[in-house]
Amino acid sequence: MVEGGKIPYQDWAAAKKKENFEKRLTRPVTRELNDTTGDPEAKCYLPGVPRATYIGLPFLIIETAKQVLLSYEFASATRIVYMDRKPKPPADSWMGWSVGSWDGDTLVIDVTAQNDKTWFDRAGNFHSDALHVIERYTLWTPYHLMYEATIEDPKVFTRPWKIRMPLYRRMEANIQPLEFKCVEFAEEFMYGHLVEKPGR
Amino acid sequence: MRYRLLATMIALAIGASQPLWAQKPAGPQAAAEGPQKTTAPYAAPRTAWGDPDLEGVYTFATLTPFQRPAALAGKDRLSEAEEKALEEQLKKKQEENIATNEHFSYNALWFASDQGRPTGRTSIIVDPEDGRLPPLTEYGKKLREQMQAHAATKRIGKDVVVDTWEDLSTYNQCIGRAMPRVTQEYNQGAEILQTPGYVTIFYESMHDVRVIPLDGRPHLDSNIRQWNGDSRGHWEGDTLVVDWTNFTDKEKSDGSAPFGGFPQGNLHVTERFRRVNTNTLLTLVTVEDPTIWTRPFTYELPWRADDPTYRGPDDLFEYACHEGNYRMMEDDITAAKAVRAAQSGKK
Repeated sequence: MVEGGKIPYQDWAAAKKKENFEKRLTRPVTRELNDTTGDPEAKCYLPGVPRATYIGLPFLIIETAKQVLLSYEFASATRIVYMDRKPKPPADSWMGWSVGSWDGDTLVIDVTAQNDKTWFDRAGNFHSDALHVIERYTLWTPYHLMYEATIEDPKVFTRPWKIRMPLYRRMEANIQPLEFKCVEFAEEFMYGHLVEKPGR
Repeated sequence: MRYRLLATMIALAIGASQPLWAQKPAGPQAAAEGPQKTTAPYAAPRTAWGDPDLEGVYTFATLTPFQRPAALAGKDRLSEAEEKALEEQLKKKQEENIATNEHFSYNALWFASDQGRPTGRTSIIVDPEDGRLPPLTEYGKKLREQMQAHAATKRIGKDVVVDTWEDLSTYNQCIGRAMPRVTQEYNQGAEILQTPGYVTIFYESMHDVRVIPLDGRPHLDSNIRQWNGDSRGHWEGDTLVVDWTNFTDKEKSDGSAPFGGFPQGNLHVTERFRRVNTNTLLTLVTVEDPTIWTRPFTYELPWRADDPTYRGPDDLFEYACHEGNYRMMEDDITAAKAVRAAQSGKK
């Protein structure tokens, strides 16, 4: 879904991506490894934006006049999108800070202040804390949104780049988001090396 | 001081013998009885589609204890003077904590800004009348004994040992924080958003979202269990009534809800939310599990919109609990090994 097919990494970053891929399922047996190596999603860490959109589990959009709430099944990740004003982020976070507006019938969300700890996917595509994402959600048919995101990070990429994909509305009767609280699935992977006899 | 006045208002509002929403609204009948001294009951504003408007950012922090202290047995309410004395006593204790516990990982400075106010009652529990949790069933007592016995195996002298991640509460593992939420130590902010057919509650703590459909659909199948259960709501006048079931047995009422640490698999909760003034939602929560308690219990907890810590949604910051937990887990389990090694070394 990357427009143009390739992510425009700077040379050092292309090498780093390759290293990320090779070490993507490294068990975090030290603090340093936990902080620097391996796919954070494997540890049930919050996925950041835009990964939360295409992580494979549904999410819910709640729209009110002043705010949009995005509630993702994955790890109960949640984003508040301010629609009626533009407050500034007090600090970096995993899911960033979202300020939204309408461009005709398209919801535009400007996402800043994401930390550098998330990846774009399991393949090791990554970013720095200078990441800036601009999302566009457009109602395409009654059953599809068209989702576009422009991704900019001058520390990692040579230029901004774009992804584009349809989002499919879930049409089941009485559909509701369910829980995917994955921490308990990640604990053995993350902490098993600490206990004498890993496993139940 | 402004906040003391509000505490008094709440005490007066719930001073009637019945909870506020049980009183009949003043109407033609009341008028026919002649002029009254009481003002008309507060009429909650409406959303654009006509539902009572519960929207806002709130904190459910309170200084009132969950259960009535033994020393206050038989006493339902504090006088204004007693409330003020309680607040000052707690403030003094907090200052002492900050001064003496500066190097402790969770000194009172953590909790300084988010302690709330007293409600005017001597306990959050309002039923049973003694303000205490009801007696346990035989099974409940057995469960408690088992939990205490297990906890004893994890204590060596003054130390509580964490041999594996499962020895921590689900809260400290950052899997979830038990519902329903009563007073916690910090991050007691929540936001209510309304859309036609739904009420949505976002809790800052654990960044949890409860989506409450109002269309009368049935609950999830009883085989589907969730950490935060499953909620269904409807309106009774200006009161949102939420039926809450489908809790997983893996969640225990430790951490936030001080119900004694029991598994929640049979829990059934009924919540009532009603706006009683511009800045206050009064919540009345009935909790029942006939396998554990001999009767249901009910507690009354105001959600307040006038706390300087939670003025708007941008005061609800991302609560990335698990993401920050690695070191704690590593330290806890490593320390447990050291404590056990020292113990067997002594023998």
